[in-house]
Amino acid sequence: MIRTDEYLEMYEMDFSEAAERISRKFSQKGTEVDPKKIESKLRRLVDEFGVQPSEAERSVTNELAKEFNLPSIGTTGGKSSGVADQKKIADVAPGEWVTIEGRIVALSSPASPAIAQSGIIADDSGGIRFVAWTKSNAPVMAAGSWYRIESAVVDEFRGISSLKIHSGTTVKESGADGALIPETVPVVNLQKGIGCIRAKVVQEWDASHERMLQSGLLGDETGTIKFVIWKEEGKEKLSIGSVYNIFYALVDEFNGRLSLNLNTATILQDDGTIEVSGGDMTVRGAIVHMAPGSGLIKRCPVEGCNRAISRQNYCPVHEIQPKFIYDLRIKGWLDTGEKTHNILLQRDVTESLTGITLSAAQEIAENNPLGMDEVFLRMRDTVLGRYVTCHGREIDNRLLANTCERLAFDSGEHAALLNRAGGAL
Amino acid sequence: MSENPRDLGRREGAFEREPARRVFAAELRECRYQFKDGEDEKSPTFVLLPTGERCNRIFLVGTLTEKQRQGDQNIFYRGRVVDPSGTFYVMAGSYQPEAMQQLAKIDTPAFVAVVGKPNLYQTPDGAFLVSVRVESITIVDKETRDLWILDTAERTLDRIDMVTAGTEPDVVKAKEQYPSIDVNAFRKTVYDALAQIRI
Repeated sequence: MIRTDEYLEMYEMDFSEAAERISRKFSQKGTEVDPKKIESKLRRLVDEFGVQPSEAERSVTNELAKEFNLPSIGTTGGKSSGVADQKKIADVAPGEWVTIEGRIVALSSPASPAIAQSGIIADDSGGIRFVAWTKSNAPVMAAGSWYRIESAVVDEFRGISSLKIHSGTTVKESGADGALIPETVPVVNLQKGIGCIRAKVVQEWDASHERMLQSGLLGDETGTIKFVIWKEEGKEKLSIGSVYNIFYALVDEFNGRLSLNLNTATILQDDGTIEVSGGDMTVRGAIVHMAPGSGLIKRCPVEGCNRAISRQNYCPVHEIQPKFIYDLRIKGWLDTGEKTHNILLQRDVTESLTGITLSAAQEIAENNPLGMDEVFLRMRDTVLGRYVTCHGREIDNRLLANTCERLAFDSGEHAALLNRAGGAL
Repeated sequence: MSENPRDLGRREGAFEREPARRVFAAELRECRYQFKDGEDEKSPTFVLLPTGERCNRIFLVGTLTEKQRQGDQNIFYRGRVVDPSGTFYVMAGSYQPEAMQQLAKIDTPAFVAVVGKPNLYQTPDGAFLVSVRVESITIVDKETRDLWILDTAERTLDRIDMVTAGTEPDVVKAKEQYPSIDVNAFRKTVYDALAQIRI
């Protein structure tokens, strides 16, 4: 929910715009109202009385309509003829009063009792999130149906536009119907708001929250993006390696990175294939840290889970799993002296770098008083402080290595450096 | 400068680990200026190298020639790690229990790789001392030592070139802080270090 002070901040700049809008409405009817006067009325309602800006705009309009005896301008009674311009959804901007016509492509459960309905409405130009306030008394809208929404307000929070259906908004079922075929955009062009993409599931990650159904990485020829699906009835996991058309996903931003929430999205599997690009790189540097959770680890045996589980065999999702599966991995930091890369080496890469195979590691763990710690320590002593070349794919600053090999001394390089250093002596 | 990846790294929430800089003992020994990046208690501390690079962390490989256990209540270990140009003073205390145990186990002399944080101290008689608080220390082979010399030589030469071109804020600051140091002198340090590698 948006706090009042955030509301004020968001709308701080909009008073003069709103005043201009109201003034224009009256001048169209031949009555001139000083925008300054309107603005001070708006400010008074919002600043002193904490009225929502959209509500303030409406009530000032009505007050003036009464004063000048121009009932057609007032929005009471729902006769909002031409109050707001009808626009394509892609063209609406925060701060505007708009009339749009679109199809409800997603409904999500309201986050607060103050909200009657929330979801996504779309036309052929794009989609936008909407919120219908309980106080608006708007008719209940059905997913898949088309509606004309008159005089709604577009606002913005953290850079994401949203359409607010308030008591001055008129919602009517529209004559239009038919399917919408949204256009997908390349992953690299996604922006905060609503997005449609065609992408392949390239990674699946351990769920970091018990309400999370699945998280991972989607990619196309242009780039990759994180995705999450929250547990909800009827939601299914995507399968790794498959290609999907994903329409109307929420695009959010966390810590400066975009992320897709697929709970609102319409997802259609696609038979095609995609060559996911990006992130391919080779890093040469020193391993400066080997993180806990490296070495011999246990994984959850439940099909499709495969999460790393605790030493007590506890899986965050499937609880105690005594029939765990052993695995090897190394998580750590590879440092070039300029930049530090988070690296993840899976079993085969770990085996070839450390020379310790999975079965050897199990044997060490079973025959040693330190158990699994002994494997960690031996691996640490073999890799920490060593120069390596890692090749793999980097996503979100984590390098998933396909190969990781010890660097060998190159006498050609030595000679070149001697020349470089000595040249100016 | 907005191109500085460090500035981006400091952006809200986006954690970026401070890279471990490569520096020869002879250059680290000349450091006289230490600063904090930010007002926060947890803001990282940097030592400014004469070649105009800030370092919060360094990676070094050399020979551990001496180590000493000190303190009664608070036990800590001091060590000397020697590279072709001089000596690094390293220490690990009870706040770095793993590093301390690693250091305690190593018998001198041995080639070691050290990741740690440099700290600048002033002794009562006014002398400056840079000591490296160890995050990790492992025994390595001679090849790793030689690779480190190559790596550090290259980085140091890059920095010397950068100072000569020099408009980066840290370079400007280094020139201010170390007016009497001619960074070109470090070319000889680099050359001598490289010359110590026998093929």
